[in-house]
Amino acid sequence: MSVFSGLKFRKVYSPIHNLDPRIKFIYVCSIFAVAIMFGELLPLMALFLLQIPFVVVAGVKREWLRSMRGAAFLATFIFLTNFIASYIGAGYVFTAKILETAVAMTLRFIVLVESFSVFFLTTSPDHLGLALEQTHVPYEFVFAFTTAVRFVPVLAEEAETIMDAQKARGLELERGNFLKRIRNYIPVLIPLIVSAIRRSLELAEAMESRAWGATKKRTNLYTLKVHRGDVVLIALTALTLVAAVYARLYLPVPSLSELLKIPS
Amino acid sequence: MALVETRNLTYTYPGATRASIREVSLRIEKGEFVLITGPSGCGKTTLCRCFNGLIPSFYQGELEGEVFVAGLHVSEHPIYEVAKHVGFVFQNPENQLFALSVEKDVAFGLENLGIKREEMRERVDSALKLAGVYDLRERAPHELSGGQQQRVAIASVLAMQPEIIVLDEPTSFLDPLSAKKIFEVIYDLNKRLSITVILVEHRLDLTARYADHIVIMDDGQVVMDGDPHDVLRSEEARLIGIGIPKATRLFQLLKADGMNLGEKVPLSSEELAEMLREAVKDQ
Repeated sequence: MSVFSGLKFRKVYSPIHNLDPRIKFIYVCSIFAVAIMFGELLPLMALFLLQIPFVVVAGVKREWLRSMRGAAFLATFIFLTNFIASYIGAGYVFTAKILETAVAMTLRFIVLVESFSVFFLTTSPDHLGLALEQTHVPYEFVFAFTTAVRFVPVLAEEAETIMDAQKARGLELERGNFLKRIRNYIPVLIPLIVSAIRRSLELAEAMESRAWGATKKRTNLYTLKVHRGDVVLIALTALTLVAAVYARLYLPVPSLSELLKIPS
Repeated sequence: MALVETRNLTYTYPGATRASIREVSLRIEKGEFVLITGPSGCGKTTLCRCFNGLIPSFYQGELEGEVFVAGLHVSEHPIYEVAKHVGFVFQNPENQLFALSVEKDVAFGLENLGIKREEMRERVDSALKLAGVYDLRERAPHELSGGQQQRVAIASVLAMQPEIIVLDEPTSFLDPLSAKKIFEVIYDLNKRLSITVILVEHRLDLTARYADHIVIMDDGQVVMDGDPHDVLRSEEARLIGIGIPKATRLFQLLKADGMNLGEKVPLSSEELAEMLREAVKDQ
């Protein structure tokens, strides 16, 4: 079940993993905002490159490349639609400018995917849950989230067992056309859902037995504290934002083709 | 009043036509190690659910009679109040751990109770040590073996410092060696911290030696209740189909053959070996 392997979280320690997830999230949102502000290629390239050190320091290169590869299809699609649309819009003339805009739009998308994937690759669900809790998200939701993450590997294992059992009874999963293949999965899904419901009842019982809902003021074993790294990240975020807003308002952003003096 | 007391307890699950337990009256004293056994479907689990208020608060249904636990009239209190006195360890270790790390799971009950962080830290650490899983505290539950998971479940109950721990077939998902370890941990808690233990179990070979008190159930009723030496030697216990310890059975057979082994019924292989050694020496 390679589909699920990406969802299993592993405990990794790196300076990036240890950053406060709330601040990391603000950072990601700022990158997002800046990417939306600029449609030009150069600043977007700068944003793209800004993320690379994070990936390297966090040591998540392989996972990151995988998520980039996942975005490749959509990126190609965005590139083609942009390119074709402006090609037609310009009256069927090909210019370097058109190519540049299409690349910029694609890069904008890639920057968005990149920053979010860095966030999710370097934030353990545990940390994320804690951050949610400390930003006063109701505990029920936080609990639902962390429990879901906790049970992904368990359900994946169970799905595998059920698939093996059904295959042993002659179920052929990889047969027929697309629709038929989806239908093939019904005998796997039904037992999986039934057992998940049973499991949830047992979970509820266990929760009740451990004083769920005893007090409105729940405490927490861990707290998030702001460290030096977090301060640095805040500074970096503020700097990026200010620089971006200033550049947008007062500086002319040159396009790559102008810089390289490509005649249009 | 005894620490746990039930009076004519009869309970029917919602939608069921037949009562799952009928007229159960039991007394469990403080510090006892109680073993509840009986064929599958005899109502052991149902009875356990009455001890911490899952019945009737969680399951609804029809409850007659009374349950008193640690001075509380169980059906008149919400489960979380009873949970402070009664810890519950379930059969499937996987479905009672919800957090992403062992430590956090052990803290779950304390977080719910709103215990301060410093005290929580202390209680979590000491519970982890008592259950012998301190080294696993930063691991994720799904990475652990069944035996380790079950010990974490015990730790998570211990952290709440209950007077009573109810364990509902805690080893049925485990291999014999892990099961033995679990029983040793439980026995240790019972002896050292004098926590009252109510253990539902089929494996009497491994557990009968620890028990002070055994309850045999059949078809929703308590059929035998008393000292394990007396209860397990009886013909009736064998006929119900419970797993009489092999040592006890062998003792009965040798006794029937006229071998002189003394009067005390052995509950473990070690006890029987000792008796046989004595008997052989005399000849």
